[in-house]
Amino acid sequence: MEGDLVLVIVVATALVFDFTNGFHDTANVVATSISTHALSPRLAVGIAALLNFAGAFISIEVAATIASDVVDAAAITPTVIFAGLVGAICWNLITWYFGLPSSSSHALIGGVVGAVIAAAGTAAVEGDGILGKVLVPAVVAPVVAFAIGAIAIVVAYRVCARLRPGPVTRGFRLGQIVSGGMLALAHGTNDAQKTMGVITLALIANGNLPETGFDIPTWVIVASASAIALGTYTGGWRIIRTMGTRIIKMDSAQGFSAQGAGAAVILASSHFGYPLSTTQVIAGGVMGAGAGKRVSAVRWGVAGNIVTAWFLTLPAAAAIGAASYGFTSIFGDGAAGPVILSALAIVLGLTLFARRIRQGQPVPAA
Amino acid sequence: MSAAALAPALAATVVDAEALLDSVLASLIAGVFVTFAASLAIWGFATAAEMQRNDRDLAAVGAGILAVVATLAVAAAIALGLYVMING
Repeated sequence: MEGDLVLVIVVATALVFDFTNGFHDTANVVATSISTHALSPRLAVGIAALLNFAGAFISIEVAATIASDVVDAAAITPTVIFAGLVGAICWNLITWYFGLPSSSSHALIGGVVGAVIAAAGTAAVEGDGILGKVLVPAVVAPVVAFAIGAIAIVVAYRVCARLRPGPVTRGFRLGQIVSGGMLALAHGTNDAQKTMGVITLALIANGNLPETGFDIPTWVIVASASAIALGTYTGGWRIIRTMGTRIIKMDSAQGFSAQGAGAAVILASSHFGYPLSTTQVIAGGVMGAGAGKRVSAVRWGVAGNIVTAWFLTLPAAAAIGAASYGFTSIFGDGAAGPVILSALAIVLGLTLFARRIRQGQPVPAA
Repeated sequence: MSAAALAPALAATVVDAEALLDSVLASLIAGVFVTFAASLAIWGFATAAEMQRNDRDLAAVGAGILAVVATLAVAAAIALGLYVMING
């Protein structure tokens, strides 16, 4: 009975993480389209939400676990998963509060790693996996996207140099709707699966699913798709503003180049089995599209803050995950710890939202 | 889905340099190609309209054909992207 209560809390927490993932990462997909007026803000997030929902159903091949490459699977218990999710959700909310686009995937990995260290020690952490799956991609992804964005915008400006601005703007705006749609689909496919994987792991750990020969339950797929779509529709306007207007002042050709670079990097890495963060890829593409036009066009101070948040994501989420596990373990192995921590996390989350709402909704004027 | 089918996703790797290089090259080619093709399509349609206004019909047809071919190339890239998304 206690185990079932913990499972319910873990599933609910995983869906809350999925919601914050959509909420936090909306900017990846819609920010450039909104800032270049290719789409109105509400229409952009509406389309992104629908495509994220659809994307979650496209493929469930990698809906395994996000953490198995980086920690010893034997160390993963429902309480560890819960503590890891709390770490990821808290970091997502903190970066949202400051309007910083950071990787939800890295937050989840960091949270779980921290919780595992608190539960089973550092021996349960796969150092090779963290290097290969997280750290190297974290450096490579934005650099590659930056380079592609920079080259692509130079190509676009050269080809369209002698045209009147009107048709060029209209053409690239139309292209942005398509490239933004591709990004939303890819995001739904990649990120909703992380939640599916987490819930499936919890179901296995609780004995609700066998360790072999199982199918991911339909309700898990539908719930994960719905949570990420709802989060996307709610829209993390603070991060949208940062991504769309604060890094560079974007025209439609730059928006298309950034989105095209992002889509190309994400899809190519999916094809070759190399995991990348969508957030870092799109931010890199946006910076590259700005620098390709003029290096001084990029607000490097804002870019520096974003990069700092990327480097902090893993250790910060790990610290929160470890602290969360430590807190729950004070109350023993039962459901008391997760219940109390959930209540505290809800209060913290509502306080952050209320504080931000009091300060005004920073929807772009566009 | 069996646990065995999940195994490749769960297998730990340090740095798969070959996959990394392939990803970088494919991303570079795809990202620049799509932008180039889209730019060419915009150039073609805009130029075709302008040529038509100036009664230069042959040039308009040429630019129009280039625009259509470039649009088809972009569409093919999108189809390839969807295929990759669905089939991994």
